Amino acid sequence: MAKITEEVIETSYSGNIFSRLFVYMKPYLKRMFFCLCLVLLITVFDLIKPMLIASAIDNYIEGYNHPYAIVSQEMGEIEYHETYLTKHFEKESVTEFAQLIYYEDDYYFFQGLSLKESEILNKISQEELKDAVLNGTTLTINRVYQGEKMDEEDLKILRSADFKGIIQIGILYAIILLLKVICNVIQTWYLQLTGQNIIFSIRQQIFKHIHSLPLRYFDTNPVGRIVTRATNDVESLHQMYANIIVRLFSNAILIVGYAVVMLSIHLEMALTCFALLPFVLVLSVIFKKISRKIYRVIRTKVSALNTFLSENISGMKIIQVFAREKEKYEEFKERSQDLYRSNMKEIITFAIFQPLIVLISNLALAFVIYKGANGVLDDSLTVGTLYIFASYISSFFSPIQSLAEQFTSLQNAFASAEKIFTVLDEKNPIVEQESPTILNEVQGKIEFKNVWFAYENDDYVLKDVSFTINPGEKVAFVGATGAGKSSILNLIGRYYDIQKGQILIDGVDIKKLSTKQIRSAIGQVQQDVFIFTGDIRSNIRLLNDDIQEESIIEAAKAVNAAHFIEQLPNQYDEAVTERGSTLSAGQRQLLSFARTLAYDPRILVMDEATANIDTETEQLIQEALETLMEGRTTIMVAHRLSTIQHADKILVMDKGRIKESGTHQQLLEQNGIYKKLYELQLYTE
Amino acid sequence: MGNQSKKKGSLFSYIWKYKFQYIIGLLTLFLVDYIGLFIPQYTGEITDGLTSHTLNSSGIASLVWKIILCGIFITVGRFLWRYFLFGTARKIECELRNDMFAKMETLSQRYFNNNKTGDLMTYFTNDLEAVRNALGSSVLSCFDSIVMTVLVLYKMMTYVSFKLTLTVIIPMGLIAVFGYYFGEEFERRFLKKQQSFANLSDHVQESISGERVIKAFVQEEKQLKEFEKINENNRQANLHVVKLMATFGPSLDFVVGFTYVVTIIYGGYLCMIGNITLGRFVAFNSYIGSLIWPMLAFGDSITSISQGIAGMRRLHQVFDEKAEIFDQENVDKSIVLQGKISLKNVDFAYSESLPNVLSDISVNIEQGETLAILGRTGSGKTTFVNLLCRVYDITSGSIEFDDIDIKRIPLHILHESIAYVPQDNFLFSDTLAKNIAFGKQDATMNEIIEACENACVHDNIIDFPEQYETMVGERGVTLSGGQKQRSSIARALLKDSPILILDDSLSAVDTDTEEKILTNLKQIRQGKTTIMIAHRISTVQNTDHILILDEGKIIEYGTYEELIKLEGVFKTMVEKQQLEKQLQEASLEVEYNG
Repeated sequence: MAKITEEVIETSYSGNIFSRLFVYMKPYLKRMFFCLCLVLLITVFDLIKPMLIASAIDNYIEGYNHPYAIVSQEMGEIEYHETYLTKHFEKESVTEFAQLIYYEDDYYFFQGLSLKESEILNKISQEELKDAVLNGTTLTINRVYQGEKMDEEDLKILRSADFKGIIQIGILYAIILLLKVICNVIQTWYLQLTGQNIIFSIRQQIFKHIHSLPLRYFDTNPVGRIVTRATNDVESLHQMYANIIVRLFSNAILIVGYAVVMLSIHLEMALTCFALLPFVLVLSVIFKKISRKIYRVIRTKVSALNTFLSENISGMKIIQVFAREKEKYEEFKERSQDLYRSNMKEIITFAIFQPLIVLISNLALAFVIYKGANGVLDDSLTVGTLYIFASYISSFFSPIQSLAEQFTSLQNAFASAEKIFTVLDEKNPIVEQESPTILNEVQGKIEFKNVWFAYENDDYVLKDVSFTINPGEKVAFVGATGAGKSSILNLIGRYYDIQKGQILIDGVDIKKLSTKQIRSAIGQVQQDVFIFTGDIRSNIRLLNDDIQEESIIEAAKAVNAAHFIEQLPNQYDEAVTERGSTLSAGQRQLLSFARTLAYDPRILVMDEATANIDTETEQLIQEALETLMEGRTTIMVAHRLSTIQHADKILVMDKGRIKESGTHQQLLEQNGIYKKLYELQLYTE
Repeated sequence: MGNQSKKKGSLFSYIWKYKFQYIIGLLTLFLVDYIGLFIPQYTGEITDGLTSHTLNSSGIASLVWKIILCGIFITVGRFLWRYFLFGTARKIECELRNDMFAKMETLSQRYFNNNKTGDLMTYFTNDLEAVRNALGSSVLSCFDSIVMTVLVLYKMMTYVSFKLTLTVIIPMGLIAVFGYYFGEEFERRFLKKQQSFANLSDHVQESISGERVIKAFVQEEKQLKEFEKINENNRQANLHVVKLMATFGPSLDFVVGFTYVVTIIYGGYLCMIGNITLGRFVAFNSYIGSLIWPMLAFGDSITSISQGIAGMRRLHQVFDEKAEIFDQENVDKSIVLQGKISLKNVDFAYSESLPNVLSDISVNIEQGETLAILGRTGSGKTTFVNLLCRVYDITSGSIEFDDIDIKRIPLHILHESIAYVPQDNFLFSDTLAKNIAFGKQDATMNEIIEACENACVHDNIIDFPEQYETMVGERGVTLSGGQKQRSSIARALLKDSPILILDDSLSAVDTDTEEKILTNLKQIRQGKTTIMIAHRISTVQNTDHILILDEGKIIEYGTYEELIKLEGVFKTMVEKQQLEKQLQEASLEVEYNG
């Protein structure tokens, strides 16, 4: 039952996916249509090519079957020993004819015949020459007709007309080739360009959309998965737009085209060819199924082996210290052999099926030749037609086989599309009002009114929290981990929406304000400093080119970061990496201060670092903080006594509620949690 | 040469081992190619028979049967060479993989410190794949394309026409030459494309990891603009590849087609003047078709063979790596260690250019004694126990176990005699039972349970739905830090070695449990040596000796009482921790009352 519903969902989805995928194609419809036309042309060219060779065979190479008329000099096309010959004549106006006869790999020229005699002679030579006597270079047929053996020179003259025909066909063939090349180049280029353009815009769209999603989304979705959506999944869509659609079309056209041409040339032969089709199809489908299954098994085994490897390389110390090298080797060997056995299965499957498919197409060829050759024998088929069918049969099977392949790729593309659309359909619950209130200038007054907040369901992290912070005030939040301090910082920038209550900035509900404006007004200093790949400068200004060089240096100086930056070999141009491994924790902290200062926010939101930092840097950080807080509303989660002491107001939090509040002195007098905390820290510091 | 073939990791020795499979594979390949040439010939004979009217129905049937027989033979042959060539390549790959893993097991920790796991993994993935491709498909396509070309050309010259063959050799040669250069250029552009895709991935990855900063500094639009550049770059790199593909494919078509044009005109001419028969003309057309693939494959195989050689060279880096820590020759394999350890003036640095991590360490640990080591982060505690396990060799001084120098003890015996609980509590992705029995794989279930009870983790384990069969790691239960730590202690206890080392192994355990574990330890480790690195005073209270390290030197050493009397670092630590404890209790009290 479960399986059925799953399938239903999948199919009900695909219609939707298809139309959505089509939307991206819309701007390129004309171009795609043009490409399909080109594909159609290419297919026609492919069909014509064997026909041209067949016509060369039937009309010219085998052209000796046609009689020559002996005519006057003006009418003659060929001059042979002072007689003038032509192959183009009106039966009534000519009386004398000549005929070439092919006998035991040699040509003989019979002259002075009537048209009827010429035809009879040709006909009996086609069947079996019973009464033929060769005497020197003279061939006598039926004791009446005598022909002379022609040497190469004679033939060159006699067949010059046929040769002209062959050259014409050769030129035609070359022209078709050239046209095909042109069509192909244009078609491939245009389609790939279209594919790349579509992919480009899908990537832009998904990237933009991802960044518009709330932090909650990033809490629940691993980074790796989101990255895959914008990279690999989009890539597999490219395959669909640039290759699969057109190939499906061109293969379908090819199959239909071949079928039509074959049917029109020779009905019976065409049906013979089609009779073999089901075998190829069935075999291809079975092969696809089996190979996919094996492939999947191998994939899981490879990744299992790799996981095992990376785990054991990381844990090599344990293996060695526990003297378990032998056992681990045996375990590895077993997995390795297991993978080997699966690989062998794959090899054997391919080794059986691929030659089998080739065998079937060879059998088909044999069958067609047998049937066709007998057809030639009973005059229902020409040798040229046989050539066409022999060369069509292999070209006919390959598009059928690739159709199966393309359907698989199409399925993969749809699967990726489904994943991409799921991300694109992800809604951002934090919606701005249509015309948000824009404050002239953010003053920095913050109010929480009975705020209730939970990250999930009813698991409240903040319970009925109320407080007011006036512009320019410094407020410190104190409390154990999990008391809800960091959540308060997150809520001020509206990274999450609260369930109950109200948050106001400068007296306006933040839901009515522009998130862009409030976030710009808030400077966040985070514990875990994120460093972007680039250099020091780009990490201070981020991507904002409005921040001038002087402001960068000024900011760095103000927060004591300039000192260490100037000691780097390339100073502000020093390259840094994502994990910032070249910088110490303290240096990163200072760098993030400089970043914040450069953006000159009205409100400062700070999660004080707890990391172990040497005393010297610690001193620098303290000083930097002073500078940073000057004239700004500051809300901080503080751990250091010195920081807390200097706050205008201290809020003590416990399990989502504000337990105590007041200045340092007031709280000490209260003789509550804060006093205990204070004493504890005093001794340990 | 003989010497080389014995050396592990020499590619030749692996190939030599499977010479018969290679010979059979190549031989069938040759036969298949050879027989394949007869099909066009028979088709030609039928055509000729039909034109010269020397063929009757039974003659046709017999020729068709010959075609079918060839087809069957080719099918069987193709199966055989695929099996032998590809199968052997897989077999060698598997052996190389196993040998490489065995080799890595002999390498010391220093090697793993210097080489990232990810980098070592590429030996097993990319490099091995390049080698396998060279051994399988490249051998095949190189051999096949040469044999095929020679055979087809020979057939064309003898069966059809020498002159006609000469006229098509030139365009065909062009395909090979162009194919080769195309392959190189394609490789170059493709690499660039891969690189730009990797850049794109990196950028997305970084930008999503830095989401908080981006949102906080309202950088979304600017990020999008930045991304657009990279996205465009990726598009261009792709189109660069496409340009080549869009021109090469059709041009190839054109060259091949052009040979057909030459054949039609010149071949047709030869046919008309009686130089060749129509059947041979038809056969010639299909021979051209069978020349295209070998021409393309040849250039390809050269590229992939050179990649295989490069891959093998990289694998040699692993095989040639000298194991730093290994048994000296003629070590006494019958040594049984009791648990006495003495260090004399031990100095250690991670490398010559780096400062000493430990200097002038001398300490005696009697059999059955418990030693606690304390010190700040980076003071050298973990290095100290690493040296005892001979994860590294000391720079100078000596380490002796039962008065035998550490280098004279077989590594296997040394490691069997030490049970070690590492700081990072590494557990394998396996069941809990197997993880705990890691050091003693023939342990009974009762022994495992006993060890877990002593490590106070049994109760946690039986709470899991699958109890001791619970999988650890990604596919199973995620253990908490404390659970991991205690499982790792149980693993060491089960080993029941004369020496037990705990590297800060009680840090994630609450004080009550810690007390229980310490009591258990005291009981089961009676008469056996125990070394424990710790931070809490409570952990070290009942040890025989306490050693305090600072910046790689011993600053205090003695019994608990001795150190208190000393009024040094240890005493300050004790006082501070006691005060903290009291305060904690006070804070709890306030919370209850409020």
